[in-house]
Amino acid sequence: MNPVFQGLLTILIGVGGIFAYFVLSNMLLDKVLFPAKGPNASRNINRANLIRPWLFLAPTIIALSLYLVYPVIGSFIRSLYNRSGDQFIGFGNYSSLIASPDFRTAFMNNVLWALFVPAVSTFLGLVIAQLTDKLSWGNIAKSIIFMPMAISFVGASLIWKFVYAIDPNLGIINAIRASMGLNPLDVLQLAFWNNFFLMAILIWVQTGFAMVILSAALRGIPEETIEAAVIDGANPFQIFMKIQVPQVTGTIVVVWTTTTILVLKVFDIVYAMTGGNFNTQILPSYMMQFMFRDDGRATAVAIVIMLIVTPVMIQNIIQARKEMR
Amino acid sequence: MADTGMLNAAAAVTQPLRGTLAAGPRGPKPKNKFSRSNIIIYGTLFVVALYYALPLYVMIVTSLKGLPEIRMGNIFAPPLEVTFQPWVKAWQEACTGINCDGLSRGFWNSVRILIPSVILSVAIASVNGYALSMWKFKGSEVFFTILMIGAFIPYQVMLYPIVILLREAGLYGSLTGLVLVHVAFGMPINTLLFRNYFASIPEELFKAARVDGAGFWAIFFKIILPMSLPICVVALIIQVTGIWNDFLFGVTYISSPDRYPMTVQLNNIVNSVQGVKEYNVNMAATLLTGLVPLVIYFASGKLFVRGIAAGAVKG
Repeated sequence: MNPVFQGLLTILIGVGGIFAYFVLSNMLLDKVLFPAKGPNASRNINRANLIRPWLFLAPTIIALSLYLVYPVIGSFIRSLYNRSGDQFIGFGNYSSLIASPDFRTAFMNNVLWALFVPAVSTFLGLVIAQLTDKLSWGNIAKSIIFMPMAISFVGASLIWKFVYAIDPNLGIINAIRASMGLNPLDVLQLAFWNNFFLMAILIWVQTGFAMVILSAALRGIPEETIEAAVIDGANPFQIFMKIQVPQVTGTIVVVWTTTTILVLKVFDIVYAMTGGNFNTQILPSYMMQFMFRDDGRATAVAIVIMLIVTPVMIQNIIQARKEMR
Repeated sequence: MADTGMLNAAAAVTQPLRGTLAAGPRGPKPKNKFSRSNIIIYGTLFVVALYYALPLYVMIVTSLKGLPEIRMGNIFAPPLEVTFQPWVKAWQEACTGINCDGLSRGFWNSVRILIPSVILSVAIASVNGYALSMWKFKGSEVFFTILMIGAFIPYQVMLYPIVILLREAGLYGSLTGLVLVHVAFGMPINTLLFRNYFASIPEELFKAARVDGAGFWAIFFKIILPMSLPICVVALIIQVTGIWNDFLFGVTYISSPDRYPMTVQLNNIVNSVQGVKEYNVNMAATLLTGLVPLVIYFASGKLFVRGIAAGAVKG
């Protein structure tokens, strides 16, 4: 069958099916189960309205429970079994993880990532948002800085793979080193510091996000507070630190936690750049190393990742619910 | 500023009536002068701009050079002789392992994944958002929390069980399976997005429509949807870029190289160890893969920024 035709058919069946479901289930509710006529008309209308929301949410609930709720439980159960999945070993996978030096390296690297990346990208985003605000070409600078957000993590990683290339004809870093008469250097093999060269990629991608959100927040600050500070004789730096930043603390926290959650699950960068070699492993890429080879261990790592993310996630959800009520 | 919430990031950018980015600077125009602080500002911005723009610049320039010219050095110089050959080669004959039919295959796979999953997820999410904002029903709070968890939970936890699910459904390794995964994972964030947007529409509109005799669908199609063009575009952008840029699901749920999406194929091309390394072709391939989201970015501008900012809470 022609692939275009096949695609169209899939869309048609999918969308048509969903809408047919919505219309038919509503018709069933209104005309057959609780008709809005007869002796109990008003009671029927009320009942129908009580049930209706669930009809509309049912496809989502089914999809979510199939794809979200079941998997979390499934992952946990699988992590209690051995490599081939036929023998229950309790927390054996977890204890062997803790005993493994590779896991500890990945864990420590991940801690570094989680501390460093959100801090730097939020800071850069805030500074850039403030500086570009005053410039006529600020918007051009902003759109350049935001551009990496549009590219995939893999694409961004490969771009930086060329930046870090050893060949001075390709790699920016080594081209600069060569012009200063230094020998080429593979920064991805520099013990310890290579982690920071990998983090630079995620910072490169994420600053745009921090910048956009914080710049909107900075513009929302009441003019009067700044004017009052100017009249009191504060210099621009003082205004920034003592008047503007305190008023956007909430947003800074939001950007920070959102980036932290992201950092804890990005595996593409390490996977594409070093494959976890040279002691650059982090938990998500460590997990992928075991995926399809030792699923018990892979799922155990996944559960560890989830445990680390959960406190940040809960904090975020509480904030959001407060916000959306 | 009032205490801000997490999706506030999203909420702020999805407010329909408040174009925060669109609002230009206010107050009198500051005088231009070369003070010390100005020099610091320009200097900092210059360094920052180098960090952001230089890698992209070098990529573009190098992808337009021939291999001999690359070997001459001067990576920062624009090409002496512009050649589009590397781009053509990346598209038609770049190799992954033994297959040498270029990125085009990955591109068409990505298109085949993209179109159905985007349409399905946006259609379902808009109806869901509508249902959630129309009725404050019992259990809507719980449902809401589940959605939030769905938007934030690390995907790693779900990788393995979904493999089993797909295997049992006979969809493991197929594009259809991947489409279903994308639809399910796009649901939480998009439903939240639509719900927030719909909740900000004045209630009087609904009431007036009801008084005029409009039913559920009439309200949705004749009143809500025509007002929701921006949020639909935002949702489309989130889904298109998110799915196009996805790597994790592609690499996990597609088992055969013929069906790999573009990002996975790109990674295999660039990290392939066989044969002569043609850097210009690799760079062109990387740029080609980024082209779709970049084109959308430059075409849609502010809406894209909104979308990405709201969508960054997902993943």
